[in-house]
Amino acid sequence: MSERLKNDAAVEHAVEALRGLRGTIGEVFFRGSHSTSVEVKDGAIENVLAHGERGIGVRVIDGQRVGFAYTSALSSEGVRACVDAAHAMSRVAEVEPDLQIATDSPPVVELGIHEDGERSVEDRAAVAVEVERVARAVDPRISGFRKTTFSDSGTTTIFATTLGAWGRYRESSSGVGTAAIATQGEERQIGGHGEASRTFSGVSAERVGRRAAEQAVGKLGARPFPTQRIAVVLDPWQGMQLVGAIGTLFNADSVLKGKSLFKGRIGERVASARVSVIDDARKPAGLRTAPFDGEGTPTRRRELIVDGTLQGYLTSLKTARKLGTEPTGNARRGSYAMPSRISPSNLHIANGAEDASAMVAGLDRALRITSLLNLHTIDPISGEFSLGAAGDYLERGVKQYAVQGITIAGNLVALLSSISGVGNDLTFGGGGIGSPTLVISELSVGGT
Amino acid sequence: MTPSITARDAERALRTALSRGGEWAELYWERHHVVALTFDDGKLEDAVTGLDQGAGIRIEVGDQQRFANSNVADADDLMTLAGRAAAGITDAVPGTSFESLRQEEVPRTHAVAIDPRTVPIERKVGLLRRVNELARAGGAKVHQVTAQYRESVQEIVVANSEGRFRTDTRVRLVLSVLVTAKDGDVLESGYEAIAGTLGFEMLSDEAVVAAAETATRRALLNVAAEPAPAGTYTVVLSSEAGGTLIHESVGHGLEADLNLKGMSVYSGRLGQKVASELITVVDDGTDPGRRGTAAIDDEGARTNRTVLIENGVLKTYLSDRKHAKKLNIPESGNGRRESFRSLPICRMTNTMILPGTSDPAAILASVPDGIFVKKMGGGQVDVVSGNFAFEITECYRIRDGKLAEPLRGATLVGQGPKLMSEIDMVGTDLGYSVGTCGKDGQSAPVADAQPTLRIPSVVVGGKVKGTAA
Repeated sequence: MSERLKNDAAVEHAVEALRGLRGTIGEVFFRGSHSTSVEVKDGAIENVLAHGERGIGVRVIDGQRVGFAYTSALSSEGVRACVDAAHAMSRVAEVEPDLQIATDSPPVVELGIHEDGERSVEDRAAVAVEVERVARAVDPRISGFRKTTFSDSGTTTIFATTLGAWGRYRESSSGVGTAAIATQGEERQIGGHGEASRTFSGVSAERVGRRAAEQAVGKLGARPFPTQRIAVVLDPWQGMQLVGAIGTLFNADSVLKGKSLFKGRIGERVASARVSVIDDARKPAGLRTAPFDGEGTPTRRRELIVDGTLQGYLTSLKTARKLGTEPTGNARRGSYAMPSRISPSNLHIANGAEDASAMVAGLDRALRITSLLNLHTIDPISGEFSLGAAGDYLERGVKQYAVQGITIAGNLVALLSSISGVGNDLTFGGGGIGSPTLVISELSVGGT
Repeated sequence: MTPSITARDAERALRTALSRGGEWAELYWERHHVVALTFDDGKLEDAVTGLDQGAGIRIEVGDQQRFANSNVADADDLMTLAGRAAAGITDAVPGTSFESLRQEEVPRTHAVAIDPRTVPIERKVGLLRRVNELARAGGAKVHQVTAQYRESVQEIVVANSEGRFRTDTRVRLVLSVLVTAKDGDVLESGYEAIAGTLGFEMLSDEAVVAAAETATRRALLNVAAEPAPAGTYTVVLSSEAGGTLIHESVGHGLEADLNLKGMSVYSGRLGQKVASELITVVDDGTDPGRRGTAAIDDEGARTNRTVLIENGVLKTYLSDRKHAKKLNIPESGNGRRESFRSLPICRMTNTMILPGTSDPAAILASVPDGIFVKKMGGGQVDVVSGNFAFEITECYRIRDGKLAEPLRGATLVGQGPKLMSEIDMVGTDLGYSVGTCGKDGQSAPVADAQPTLRIPSVVVGGKVKGTAA
């Protein structure tokens, strides 16, 4: 192997190779990125990681059959082998009459997702060191850190089809995260927090260090908690976990296969009237903002739930055609090595009208969740969940004591209907997901 | 298959890596072939194949590690990468000693009989089609079937400035079945997977049929089951449940990186009693054909059978090179990485509680009122506090020492060392489960195993009667 191809040349090579296959159409998705991470520990640099990555994913449609292959060997031989492998895979695929590829180039739009800039390892380390300094200043019981990492990256995406579509965009991100340890006698508790931004200056060491420390210290002295039904408070960061979990309910692919509880419910009430859910792929500088999706469809802002009523689904080219609707630009690519999958962009629960602290102070007794274990086990099909949790027991909004070793259980859809309060403190997290403070009127808590 | 980088290429790259200073350097090269097939909604939904090739070069400079990685096509790319890894080093002394590379064959504990790359793709699709038909034969309540086949052939080369040059080829297969059953408004699922570091011979017709039938039976059982109650119960964990418990409640806490930083509930407790004397815990990266098995770890160290806890006493931690040195314990061969993109971290391979002396039937019969866990799903642990949670995917109420009604939607939560000191019966049997473990954003194939266990009192998460959500 030799003769490394530049980014555009790799895409052009692949498109040419695709055109050389008789009777097929095809799509090429290129992604190239570089990133640097600096890990510090107790004020000193521990690891410096520099990462470079380039590859293409190729989709071949032969008749009505699709095959997919990827490669990171970007020589002309490597690209050709990848196109041939995708073509070979299409032969075992089944006939799918609704397959399409883009014919038009997506328009170029400015979304504030890219920042040019060079910075030194020391500049990056300084952010992480500051996070640890802030955390230690919060409380003397902060005894150390598992790891504090600052990372930044720059990514180029190029998309092309044999039918003439061509698009490209660049994006950048910076992020910092830590896990602080609080110690009191024999007891140790961990509190983690991380944030990311499209720009270097958008990352706040102050916020990250403070929240991680407060999370860790807040769990000290945690007690067991009796089994009961009780009102539950999710602050924006915990609310994001709920928002992240409901994303698949809107997935048109799941809907078509009968795997979503939102199937057949457009126009119906699926959540409390206080709840509106928005997926905004054009949110300026949003972490999941992109001009077009993995199939070259231009993205847009969508209202998925308005005042509790379901408005629509997230679709790809194929699923939109099956549903007889417009593609929404949600066929996202996790990487060049993964085919498009329907997923949300900057999904969030819309800001409410109530002051979050006043809303929580209005509850006689409540459990404020501070951490959840096993979120990956939520069943997206049935919506059932049963998770490990820790939290704070509150009376009239005032913390009485921390609790641990408990579980919370319920169903995602029932949970959406039992949201009795939505705060006015909408916050977006590192994954592009956003939530205000939420109050769940009642939830099952398992304990002693 | 011969690696496409030679010891000579590797040595040149390592010398370049150390040219500006540093005490030690390592090259990790990888070529990873993948075929992933997804059969969903009655048809082949996704057919993906790919080749991922790259390298990572690590340099130790004092207490720092400098690591650069990228896709590499040839020896020139490797040299460029070595230059990038060294670029940040400015203040160290050059001229570190360097051992010439010696190629060394590491014996394997098992052989791959049928290389999956030689099996026609149609046969692989045929397996999924068969799984789909078997599951759908489960009746009208079978709502959806998703079957996945994944073959992974990972060729690696590890070389370092101490003269190490070792290679390994890991052939791993997974066949998984997810069945969703529907009854009225209730949707529930059943899952089963077969996986190992083995060739296509692993996917015998008997094994495939058993997986499809088990996932289907589980989905149908769960859809008809009562929601699990919430509260504190006596729990019997069947050996068939697999080892998620040991993985979450103990295993992660014994990883040396977390212990060095004093961050595990097991930190500083070597030689102390940390579990009931009925408990012996082993991590065995050499267990033939298991999902976590390999000849060498991702730093080129031979894998081992490591006794972590013996009759309740903590013996050692799971280590990589860096942490074995810092903790002054033997290197256990547990430095693993997801790919050339990541630094190795300390992690489990195949982790198990060894069998004890109680008859499994007698353990069940000893419980007048409790919960019998037949299968566990995913889990997670907070290693600092030791609090863990895991999902239960098949369980029953125990009444008068016998299995009674099935329950669904349960979770077990507890604290690792506390739970391990409370286990009061350990069965003579041993059952395995397979999984993919996540740590610090990296995933790794693992297996876990345990005998039938009795836990006198543990929190079970489920629903409190009468709740809306």
